[in-house]
Amino acid sequence: MRRRFMEKPWGILLLALGLALAQSVSEILDRVERNLQDPWQAVVQGQIQGPGGQEELKARVLAIPKENLFRIEFQKPGSLEGNFTLITEKEVWNYLYLTNQLIVSPKEKAQVQGLGFSPQGLGDLKGLSERVSLRLVGEERLPEGVVWKLVGRAQEGQGFATLELYILKNDPRPVRFVFRDEVGKVMADLRVVEFKKASLRPQDLKRYPKDAQVVRR
Amino acid sequence: MKRIWWAGWVVLGLALAQGRLEAGVYGVSGSLASTLEGGFTLEPGEVYGKLQVGQESRGALGLSSSLALGPLGYLAYGLQAEMGVGGLGGMAFAEGGAGPLALAVRLGYRPKRVFPLFPEEGVFGRLSLRYRLVPKEVVGLLLERGEVLRAEVSYALREEATYTLGAGFSGLPYLVLGWKGEVGEGMEVLDLALRLGGLNRLEAGLYLGEASLFLTLSYPFAGSLGVWLGDLGLEGGYREAPYAWVRYAWRWP
Repeated sequence: MRRRFMEKPWGILLLALGLALAQSVSEILDRVERNLQDPWQAVVQGQIQGPGGQEELKARVLAIPKENLFRIEFQKPGSLEGNFTLITEKEVWNYLYLTNQLIVSPKEKAQVQGLGFSPQGLGDLKGLSERVSLRLVGEERLPEGVVWKLVGRAQEGQGFATLELYILKNDPRPVRFVFRDEVGKVMADLRVVEFKKASLRPQDLKRYPKDAQVVRR
Repeated sequence: MKRIWWAGWVVLGLALAQGRLEAGVYGVSGSLASTLEGGFTLEPGEVYGKLQVGQESRGALGLSSSLALGPLGYLAYGLQAEMGVGGLGGMAFAEGGAGPLALAVRLGYRPKRVFPLFPEEGVFGRLSLRYRLVPKEVVGLLLERGEVLRAEVSYALREEATYTLGAGFSGLPYLVLGWKGEVGEGMEVLDLALRLGGLNRLEAGLYLGEASLFLTLSYPFAGSLGVWLGDLGLEGGYREAPYAWVRYAWRWP
């Protein structure tokens, strides 16, 4: 009887703590959104578990958040150099340099398998958080400064099982993504560097060679 | 009445599906042929058709599907069945790329060619393989039995523009030279390819977005000049006899 009496306040406390932390996640993401309203660009780099084993990834991310436009230009691995992914409000465009094709898919059909992570998420954090149930686990110190560490489990079909997301506290923006598979193996460990505000126009992000074959799926 | 309902549903279904339709008139040596090409994207893939009606008529119905790998690559594959002058025919194809490898393969049979929609005759096929050695260098192999019979190897280097050097064999050896690069601020592209020797052909394409221009010149003499202005395609040239082809394309949604 005494035990049950003790359990109740603990349960309420845990529930309250859970709610507070859950609220913090959406608050943190709101702060990121407010901080990243203006066009920006950055470089994402790190290791990924690609189709050919572990590979180095380097990509330039260009974003116009107010227009819901994000472009990821791949520079490494070499087999992806020249390819880019563009995320618009409703579509995902993938330009493939080798075959000179632009594959346009509706967002819900544009699953990305085989990279071990979701390139869409690198620019569009809000979109990513809709597919991963994130929770705040605490604060850590990284070379960039003090960060919030968020972790979460992904919905089916994202190409990864869990995500660790590090958000810089004094300049709310993501600085590190760790994507893992079902057994906890790291599929991609990516850092965001060379972040800066930039003057970008929608037409700059939507550029592709005029001779490309456009394939609509 | 039931039939009208059915036709209505089919038309509505196709109108709602994503699609394209290209209708044209082809004229050569005083005779005219109408050409029609269409494709409809449905849930499992695309259904497409081609029809040429004239002195010699032929039609094809095809099914294609695709596999998209995001920024890693894309592969499309399909089957096409044909009927018309000379009898039945068909073709299977797969083309696309993944990571450093690009591939295009097709194999078919057609008892009689009907130009321009069905240009090959007999057993025809094409195998094209390209491999990205390093980010800026691509090697290629091409084997083709179609309007011509040829084998070709090539090396392409990208330094701002892309320079191609290759060698082929089509009865006699031939040389391949290519240049492709941007010619404007908006990623407008000029693509030039010259083959000299066993095959003599100059191909040029200028892609400006709303308009595209094409030129081919061959020896023994044949040539064509074409332009796409938005959805309107105009082409004229000489191929055993002078010809002209006017097309209009609709795309929806």
